[in-house]
Amino acid sequence: MSAISPEAVLPRQRVTKNPLAPLATLAVRRFQLSTRTPRELVVPLLTPIMFALVIAPALKQALHTGSGYEAFVATGTVGLLIPLNTMFAGLGVIVDRESGAQRELLAAPIPRALLVLGNLAVASAITALQIAVLIAVGIARGIHFDASGTGIVWFVAGATLFTVGMYGAAETLASRVPKAEEYIARVPAIAIVPWFLAGSLFPISALPGFLSWFAKFLPLTHGLALVRYGLLGDSTGLHNIWKLHDTTAMASLSLLVVAVFAAALTMISIRVFSRSAVR
Amino acid sequence: MQPRSELVPRIQQPPIAVRGLRKTYPGGVEAVKGIDFEVAAGEVFGLLGPNGAGKSTTIGMLTTTIVPTGGRAFVAGYDVATEPLAARSVSSVVFQDSVVDRALSGRRNLDIHARLWAVDAGRARRRIAELANTLGLGDLLERPVASYSGGERRRLEIGRALVSEPQVLFLDEPTVGLDPRIRHELLDVIARLRDRNEITILLTTHYLDEAERLCDRIAIIHAGRIVALDTPRALLSMLGQEIVELRVDGDAATALALLRARGIAGEDAFTVGSTLTVPLHDRAAAHAMAAIHESDLAPSSISSRQPTLDDVYLQLTGARLAEAA
Repeated sequence: MSAISPEAVLPRQRVTKNPLAPLATLAVRRFQLSTRTPRELVVPLLTPIMFALVIAPALKQALHTGSGYEAFVATGTVGLLIPLNTMFAGLGVIVDRESGAQRELLAAPIPRALLVLGNLAVASAITALQIAVLIAVGIARGIHFDASGTGIVWFVAGATLFTVGMYGAAETLASRVPKAEEYIARVPAIAIVPWFLAGSLFPISALPGFLSWFAKFLPLTHGLALVRYGLLGDSTGLHNIWKLHDTTAMASLSLLVVAVFAAALTMISIRVFSRSAVR
Repeated sequence: MQPRSELVPRIQQPPIAVRGLRKTYPGGVEAVKGIDFEVAAGEVFGLLGPNGAGKSTTIGMLTTTIVPTGGRAFVAGYDVATEPLAARSVSSVVFQDSVVDRALSGRRNLDIHARLWAVDAGRARRRIAELANTLGLGDLLERPVASYSGGERRRLEIGRALVSEPQVLFLDEPTVGLDPRIRHELLDVIARLRDRNEITILLTTHYLDEAERLCDRIAIIHAGRIVALDTPRALLSMLGQEIVELRVDGDAATALALLRARGIAGEDAFTVGSTLTVPLHDRAAAHAMAAIHESDLAPSSISSRQPTLDDVYLQLTGARLAEAA
């Protein structure tokens, strides 16, 4: 056997001219897999739309609240739609691993972080589409949003970063949990329980003392406060968290919290995926 | 990435080189215990062994989906540990299980591979058309893979691995679980690849006929170690032109000692249960059988035949490959 010399000639590798091309390929693949039937786009929308269109008006009537409460709950349902949608997107990772082409992708000459980022891009795009549908349906139902140009920026930034963070949580869980059944069993604890505590149906100040304090640490609380500030011009949520006078400063702080959440969960998800994918 | 061929002197590298490669899984399971081999350009090299012998772990390390715990491995000269992207860019793999996007069409599966391996779009189109023709995939390509039969799916996976025109192709038990007709169809496909001599193939299998038919050289792997490595012909010649196989009612080891003492069996004769296998190197089977009948042994059955790789495996490891698999 001849020794391998580091000076030896090596075959020419194919070089991708556009480094984003593999990411685009992975994202298109994931999009095709995620949206192959309309059902997969529509089903995650049902619960939030039901909240916005049925439960919010019913609560308004039963509790004799004003039309502002409808808008409060409609924006609060964004905080349910994002975790539900991203957690369902995470199931795709398990399907890929169990019966899909994940091993083929792992053998591809691309950094493995791109597999996570491709999934993230699609989960974010589908979530954005669903939020847009939710808002459009809310407007059609007569819910009044009061968004300025700046407000829309706060809303988009907060919702996007929260989506990125939640997808990171979904991908991390999918990489660590061996079976889809176990994954689904954990979805309520991650996607639904925080929603009840994060000021979605009522302000966090209405929670008992400890829970009110605890809710301030939930990224969803900050995300929802930003969504409401952006879409309704309502800074009550931000004030309940920070108790400052400067609204922009409070929004910036909440955005920072959500940004740190997004960055941390994305890094963790890439690390966990890369480690779990190879043995 | 800059092509390294422009930077370094021209010395040809073997497409696959493995040096003291080891893998110990968490929990202490030693799957591969320091193996060495080298595969020449255009060669079809077989790793033959039962399930759990370390074949798939070896392929996993070469395709960088399993991290070695010792030794080194090179694919087309690229170190799989330090240059994994480069090693992956010049190789493709067909996995033991079906690894495809079933919801997508066959063409889309091939196209994704072409894009990830950075094959130029025009070249990929031509290549896919050519492979569809060669592998009989023409009518299937637009259908979702979920509607394919097992054999069609396997042909698609082989086609996918070839879209990027890899220098090294890893085939991990490519025919396992397929019915005999489809299996033979696929063996034909792999044999055609072999005949074209453009590609280096590392094939793992526990089917002896597959290894014998397709491989230029075979490494017999047992419990994480390579116990023999040579051409099929040379491996078979270890047991001579013929073997005599006899079954005895008493202790087979005592019977073997008797045959050795009489000069009928050599040191390479072996027993498994109540069966003695006696390789014949320099005498005819009829003479050997006559000598056995003249001895005090009363075999319950006796026959002669040509040796197979299973006999080689049996002699080297003490277990029949079919049983171990």
